[in-house]
Amino acid sequence: MLYGLIDCNSFYCSCQRAFDPDLKHRPVVVLSNNDGCAIARTAEAKQLGIKMGEAWHLVRHERKLSDVRWFSSNYPLYADMSRRVYQVLLDYSPRVEPYSIDEMFLDLSGFSNTLHAHCGAMRQAVQQITKVPTCVGWGPTKTIAKLANGLAKDRPELEGLCDLTDPQTRQRFYRNVSVGEVWGVGRRLLPKLHYAGIRTIEQFVEAKPAHIRKIMAVTGLRLQAELQGESCIQISEIAEARKGMACTRSFGRPITTYEEMHEAITGFATRAAEKLRAEGLDAAHIAVFIQTNRHKRDDGWYANQFSISCEPTNDTFTICRHASRLLKQIWLKGYRYAKAGVMLNDLAPHGQQSTLFSMASAKPDHETLLAAMDGINQKFGSGTLFPLSAGIKRDWKPRQAMLSARYTTRLEEIMEAQTW
Amino acid sequence: MSARYAGDRTTGFASPAADAVEGPIDLSQILDLKNPSRYPVRVRGATFAGRGILDGDILIADTAGSPQAGQLVIAWAAGRVLLAELQKRDKTWWLLSGDDTHPPLQVDPARDVEIWANVTSVVREKA
Repeated sequence: MLYGLIDCNSFYCSCQRAFDPDLKHRPVVVLSNNDGCAIARTAEAKQLGIKMGEAWHLVRHERKLSDVRWFSSNYPLYADMSRRVYQVLLDYSPRVEPYSIDEMFLDLSGFSNTLHAHCGAMRQAVQQITKVPTCVGWGPTKTIAKLANGLAKDRPELEGLCDLTDPQTRQRFYRNVSVGEVWGVGRRLLPKLHYAGIRTIEQFVEAKPAHIRKIMAVTGLRLQAELQGESCIQISEIAEARKGMACTRSFGRPITTYEEMHEAITGFATRAAEKLRAEGLDAAHIAVFIQTNRHKRDDGWYANQFSISCEPTNDTFTICRHASRLLKQIWLKGYRYAKAGVMLNDLAPHGQQSTLFSMASAKPDHETLLAAMDGINQKFGSGTLFPLSAGIKRDWKPRQAMLSARYTTRLEEIMEAQTW
Repeated sequence: MSARYAGDRTTGFASPAADAVEGPIDLSQILDLKNPSRYPVRVRGATFAGRGILDGDILIADTAGSPQAGQLVIAWAAGRVLLAELQKRDKTWWLLSGDDTHPPLQVDPARDVEIWANVTSVVREKA
């Protein structure tokens, strides 16, 4: 087997740059929901010292950052650009796994002899067609492909391509690189490995299996095998059915009244139910949480969550009703709430689950109404039709002060060309 | 439901067209809009009226493929997005204006003059 991993460089920033010539040489930053933290930075922005996850409002007025162009995250645009990258890749690999919005695993088994040229052409095509620069790494397992990709990104002299198929090349690399660079070895695991005297990938690979097993159970053994070139993790072409679905948000300003919180929760429940129906699922467990700002404990800190099991449903109105009841249980007056959410769990295909003593037949039939609602929201934009209890003003909505156009998904927002 | 009847499944007399349903014409398919290299672009200005492209038209631009002489292109030039005609002179590519109001501009990525996409189709919502 031969696996590749292609990763889009500063993906959200690259999407913004694809449609705006003014951004070509400027440092660009994309912020998280609510315009909170920097979640994507171009190389120029990184050079200015902007850190991943840095709170933007704290640094944006620094003089050295005056040239930085910043954007609210524009997920409709990023989703469509990710779709484009994926489709281009299908011309270069029979199986593509969209691992995240900006990185995809590839089955490169058929191209063993011409890999370097093949991956170079693929990278070139993605760049030309989607305007998104990428790096590609490959090797006999997914874990090695991921490592190779990291190398391609970190070392400019590799020109975006890194081949770790050769065991000797790997060995040299393993000796000098921290085990923390390995896919799946997180910050929590690293101290344990260090404590056991394992610092480099080489030390990890050569450690006794029993030893590794004690530290990180079977996952560790699988990782050892993967790093030695024995493939244990296959390509999965599409995400497995979801186990849970959530709609949570940070508010643009603190919420202090029950009425507003109720609107927010109803809005989240409505959106979550819509997602549920889009995937043809029912939920049998509903949770609601509310919390104040963790970083501003002087104002008094409170967080609570409450949940119930219910009959499997995808009905917006039923889910909203449950969510309202849950909110009543946890609501406490006198706090400044910063974040809230609705989580749906125990998901199964719609209509499949049935409980003994089902009350389903007693429920009013909302199916037609819901289908119509989904149809209208799909055609005219999410949130066109919603239960009135979700509120109309909704000025607690997250801040998105610097949203760019949705260049590829909205006809009224497409790129404009001046005739010359 | 009304949307599901397409000339095929009649309730009384069997439709003789049941196996011949083709559905309405899908312009997004004809314009190949699902292709990852296709992007819609709005025209601002009328210097290409002579080539039948008016202010407000939607162009379907394609970022794949190589440059062709005589083709209309979407170009980036010094921070602006332009619609121009591409020509080849002395082995280099030049952007020509629609009504000769501007001198030709040499395509040169090093000077931030580059081709963004080829124009493949024109759509006018209201004729």
